[in-house]
Amino acid sequence: MLNTNYKIAGVYLTAKPRQTIVALLGVTFGISMYVFMISFVTGVNEMTNKLAFTSFAHIRIYNDGPKDNTDLISEKSNETALVNLRNAKVIKYTTGIKNPAELIKLLQHQPEVTGVTPQVNVSVFFRNGGNKINGMLSGVEVDAENRLFTIADYMVSGNWNSLKTQPNGIILGVKLAKSLRVGIDDNVNVLTAEGIMKNLKVIGVFKTNMGSIDGTKAYLNINSTRQMLAKNQSYVTDLQIMVNDYKVTAPLVQRLSTVVPYNTESWQTSNQQMYAQSKLYDMVARAVSFTILLVAGFGIYNIMNMTINEKIKEIAILKAMGYSGFDITVIFLTQALVIGVLGGIIGMLIGFCLGYIVELIPFKMGALDHLPMAYHVKDYLMAFLFGLATTFIAGYMPARKAAKIDPVEIIRS
Amino acid sequence: MEKKIALKANHLVKYFNQPEPFQVLKDLSFEVKSGEFLSLTGKSGSGKSTLLYILSTMDTAYGGELTINGIKLTGKSQDQLAAFRNEHIGFVFQFHYLLPEFTALENIMLPALKLKKKSREEIKEKAYQHLKLLGIEEQALKLSGKLSGGQQQRVAIARALINDPSIIMGDEPTGNLDSKNTQVVFDIFRELSEVYGQTIITVTHDDDFAKNTDRIIEMSDGRLC
Ligand SMILES: Nc1ncnc2c1ncn2[C@@H]1O[C@H](COP(=O)(O)OP(=O)(O)O)[C@@H](O)[C@H]1O
Ligand SMILES: [Mg+2]
Repeated sequence: MLNTNYKIAGVYLTAKPRQTIVALLGVTFGISMYVFMISFVTGVNEMTNKLAFTSFAHIRIYNDGPKDNTDLISEKSNETALVNLRNAKVIKYTTGIKNPAELIKLLQHQPEVTGVTPQVNVSVFFRNGGNKINGMLSGVEVDAENRLFTIADYMVSGNWNSLKTQPNGIILGVKLAKSLRVGIDDNVNVLTAEGIMKNLKVIGVFKTNMGSIDGTKAYLNINSTRQMLAKNQSYVTDLQIMVNDYKVTAPLVQRLSTVVPYNTESWQTSNQQMYAQSKLYDMVARAVSFTILLVAGFGIYNIMNMTINEKIKEIAILKAMGYSGFDITVIFLTQALVIGVLGGIIGMLIGFCLGYIVELIPFKMGALDHLPMAYHVKDYLMAFLFGLATTFIAGYMPARKAAKIDPVEIIRS
Repeated sequence: MEKKIALKANHLVKYFNQPEPFQVLKDLSFEVKSGEFLSLTGKSGSGKSTLLYILSTMDTAYGGELTINGIKLTGKSQDQLAAFRNEHIGFVFQFHYLLPEFTALENIMLPALKLKKKSREEIKEKAYQHLKLLGIEEQALKLSGKLSGGQQQRVAIARALINDPSIIMGDEPTGNLDSKNTQVVFDIFRELSEVYGQTIITVTHDDDFAKNTDRIIEMSDGRLC
């Protein structure tokens, strides 16, 4: 029986091709826009994250100094005691992370951790003659740093691996080098807050396209940094951790913070603005596409209603001949679903092509030379299911109405 | 009479409320025997079509009781009645309603495709036989919307016969046919009732047609007379 119902649906779909095409275009447009916009927003977000993760780790462990002791009174006092506080001071505390080797081993045993590298970070002044710029000197393990952040790919001059062989070599961010008016083989003077001063030779320049990084950051071999600061060979200020899924950091942070006596911070926490922004883009794109789909669904609803009003006599005849309400529902719902499936498939194809074409258009800005696009099966599947659900609902309501038609009323009039 | 009762109407009453409350059918009771060829006559507006819609189970808003082939149909659900109609009742409307976007052949096949007692090929074969019998086999593959009024009416008759229903009802089924084709339809109905024992109930204004049937029921102002 179903075969006959499908056949009737097919005849109705092809008998009025213009209506069918209009409905089809609505769904196609909705799905293609959905796919395209999600591709674009996901592409932008992934691009931004990729850029960001050349300098930020997914999770960072660092020693933040002693705990906040600005409120000494409420902790120590009770209602009856009189407190006299004089000349409060921060007493000497240990900087850096104790026993980093053990901690690294612990971290590497966590299932989601894909890489760990230690750093000695120190806030410094960079000087070249009268030019003085505040910045951050990062003492790094050359190979490990590159494995995690692929920083070698961002070198505009010099060679990342030279850090291994040249203990007095420094690699500067491109903006920092420019502000200092230095290039390869020039000398730069580094001054720490403790008054330690050191002369270093520029052996490379990198460019991440993140303004704040390129303008303030410099890399040095981790051992040279320890020597410069007169620290021992295991001194570490930061542990940079990469995980397999950067979106999921909370459970690991949760676990670590109970055993690690230092600050454990995910990129989501340290870059809340970026995180919020990427979430917002995503939401806006989904909302807009969803609205388009809804409009398309409304279009289908209208067209189906029209069709049913036109065919009301034929529905009455079918019922008079013995077709049940369910048969009628199937006949009209099939039409809507065919439109939904066809519109979905064509829409996904058009959305993909649109993204592909837009990706080919040159677009120079910062690190970009074309607009970033991401093509994820999951997004396509989502668009298709959304489209199908919309057409199902849009088709079901008029189809139910058709199923409830009383044949005598129509035939008598 | 030893013949079985095909249809039994018991105190049928029907009201229309639309322009104003109005009783169309006033307590109709009668029986139709199996294999009987019955004609229903009466002036326009006397309630023939209204009665036929009730007898065909399409109209359920009536008082009284309807029994066909020993099955009480009053009070059954729409879907149950649809299934019953599909198998047991063939109906020819006063205005030969066909599905215009389907061919004549497909229109005839539709009730049988729903019933699903025969294969598609058998159904097609049978539909062709009916078309031939009614002299319109060349029109088989034309869209029914493109046929003349007389041709459409014959397609509608063929459609009513396709499932070998035990009762065939027609509301002026020959109203659009010339005397030659009217005679063809009459002969078909006669054969169906005599040879195959199918019950025929037709509304007609054609006195010659009515005279040759087994029995005439005349209606006047919602009553039998
Ligand atoms: N849908 C309706 N609403 C109200 N009155 C109707 C309706 N259909 C028919 N009637 C009235 O019922 C009476 C019987 O109609 P009908 O059964 O069509 O008569 P016939 O078929 O004998 O010409 C007529 O007076 C007609 O005006
Ligand atoms: Mg009438």
